[in-house]
Amino acid sequence: MKKWLLPLALLLSLPAQAADVLHLYNWNDYIAPETIERFERECGCKVNQSYFSDAEEMLAKLAAGAKGYDVMVPSTEILGALIKQGALMPLDKNQLPNIVNMDPAYMNIPEDPGNRYTVPYAIGTTLIGYNEQKLKELGITADSWALIFEPEILAKIKGKVTVLDSPRELIGAALIYLGYSVNTTDREQWKQAAALIARAKPYWAAFNASSYIKELATGSIWVAHGYSMDLYQARVDAEQAGRDFSIGFVLPKEGANIGMDHMAISAHAPRPDLAHKFINFMMDGRNASELTNMIGNGNPNRAARPYIRPELLEIEALFPSPELQKRLQVLEEFPTAKDRRDFNKLWTELKLR
Amino acid sequence: MRKPPPSWLLSVPPLLYLLALFALPGLLMLLVAFRLPGDYGGLMPLWSDEDGALTVNLTLENFTRLVEDDIYLKLLASSLLYALLTTALCLVLGYPLAWMIARSRRRWRDLLLLLVILPFWSNFLIRIYAWMIILSPVGALSRGLNALLEMLGLGPVQLMFSPTAVIICLVYVHLPFMVLPLYANLEKHDPALLEAARDLGASAWQRFWRITAPLSLPGVLAGSALVFIPSFSMFAIPDLVGGTGGIMIGNVIKQQFLEARDWPFGSALSITVTLVVLALAALAAAAARRGVRHA
Repeated sequence: MKKWLLPLALLLSLPAQAADVLHLYNWNDYIAPETIERFERECGCKVNQSYFSDAEEMLAKLAAGAKGYDVMVPSTEILGALIKQGALMPLDKNQLPNIVNMDPAYMNIPEDPGNRYTVPYAIGTTLIGYNEQKLKELGITADSWALIFEPEILAKIKGKVTVLDSPRELIGAALIYLGYSVNTTDREQWKQAAALIARAKPYWAAFNASSYIKELATGSIWVAHGYSMDLYQARVDAEQAGRDFSIGFVLPKEGANIGMDHMAISAHAPRPDLAHKFINFMMDGRNASELTNMIGNGNPNRAARPYIRPELLEIEALFPSPELQKRLQVLEEFPTAKDRRDFNKLWTELKLR
Repeated sequence: MRKPPPSWLLSVPPLLYLLALFALPGLLMLLVAFRLPGDYGGLMPLWSDEDGALTVNLTLENFTRLVEDDIYLKLLASSLLYALLTTALCLVLGYPLAWMIARSRRRWRDLLLLLVILPFWSNFLIRIYAWMIILSPVGALSRGLNALLEMLGLGPVQLMFSPTAVIICLVYVHLPFMVLPLYANLEKHDPALLEAARDLGASAWQRFWRITAPLSLPGVLAGSALVFIPSFSMFAIPDLVGGTGGIMIGNVIKQQFLEARDWPFGSALSITVTLVVLALAALAAAAARRGVRHA
């Protein structure tokens, strides 16, 4: 072959490749690699992922003018903000025949009536993970939020506890422990929750939303307030590393937050056609099941169940029974901007004190 | 004969650079600090028109909030302390190292310099993650240290998630920024000066204190600025290893922009940090000028 042919061929193939790219804005490790590969094969396109680590971070990036995403995976608590801002494109249901697979229990939520903009992607609860052997040795039971809030218990595990670096989750847990709603805007109830946190804080090692999986799985910490999928991951990691302890996690008896992530199409999507194709593909039972088998999330897709590993379906914290579901609360956007500002101020100052 | 270009022309590119990348963003931040936050991040419109009554959405609240409770000033003070301690430790560790490299043989010198720069070849966060493993309570360092302390009859210490961990990582990350300017300075010193001093009967200490130290002052100042400024506003290290007690001002600024949807308050905090740094830089420059005059 002539020497100049190869560069020329490469040059010609570039535009063709660049045209068929789906830009996915997603949490880290939040789609199985084999699912992406299968989609790329089916549509003859490339998937390009960008990541965020907090729902608020997604909002902040979009507010700062980030564009070019096709499909985004926002959490419930920012759906209202995204829809009101006009950041999402209405879904064309004709292109989404697989929508019949979705569990009606998770459809038609107040934030997006009639699923005009979003379809559910994954479900998770926020709860407490713990080192089973350590807590047994110390004679501590783990079925209540008291484990991370009560000084008498914390005194035995001082410096071995991390809590989520998330105001809604952590203050929410305190509110649940006190018997209030996670969405309350009653300043007196907020104050009580803040006092509870201020009292417990000296016993905590860190506000941690990123490394507690590893810390728990290596035995560096013994108790972590965290997301069900992360705690499941910690359990698997500890098992696979052959540790002499195991990681347990329970839904506290007072209740917990249940969180949902959704698939939505950006209002500025360069390729709405690929975006619809992708969302429909992800609502196929087998494709939807792969994420659950990888990270242990709750799955809003009924058609996925037969493909999910049976031992996962038995874990109550991941697939709560209808009776347990009654004790789960959904985080909602605060009604006014003033509520949100006051709440954030409370959190900022709580962390510094 | 062609005239050389006038000197002011030469200063146009750096001035433009400063204007575009420092003055304009700084000014923008200053303006934002007087605005109100938008509902979904960003800013509230400058004026709103409700029932014909025009309201201008400007406020001093973001600055009054800074002083109405002393927690922000305390945080500023503790962040300053972290940065000063980091700079001092980097100087103490970096000076002998830079001196040794500058005085070593030519073929060793390049290798040693390469070793100083080598950590930059891997990502900063990955290096901090490595420190998280080193400092972890189940790691060899913590266990060894605590076994030793127990033998001495002292209680165990926790390295990870502590202010100590923040300082260790800050020093580790910024050490090359101290070593490189110091090396560049020390390498240029004329050995004849020290020989002459020795011939005239100066002791080793006198030779260092009267000749090397004053000559290296510009290197010390450059290195200190390069270490102090980024450590003062660091947020990633305290986020990862600081725990509940090791929070710095950078963390709160990041929180305002990324989580709290409060850009104006974040800007007010940023402006404060910038002013503190500028004030300290002015002090250092004044001190340096006096130092040069005395030397």
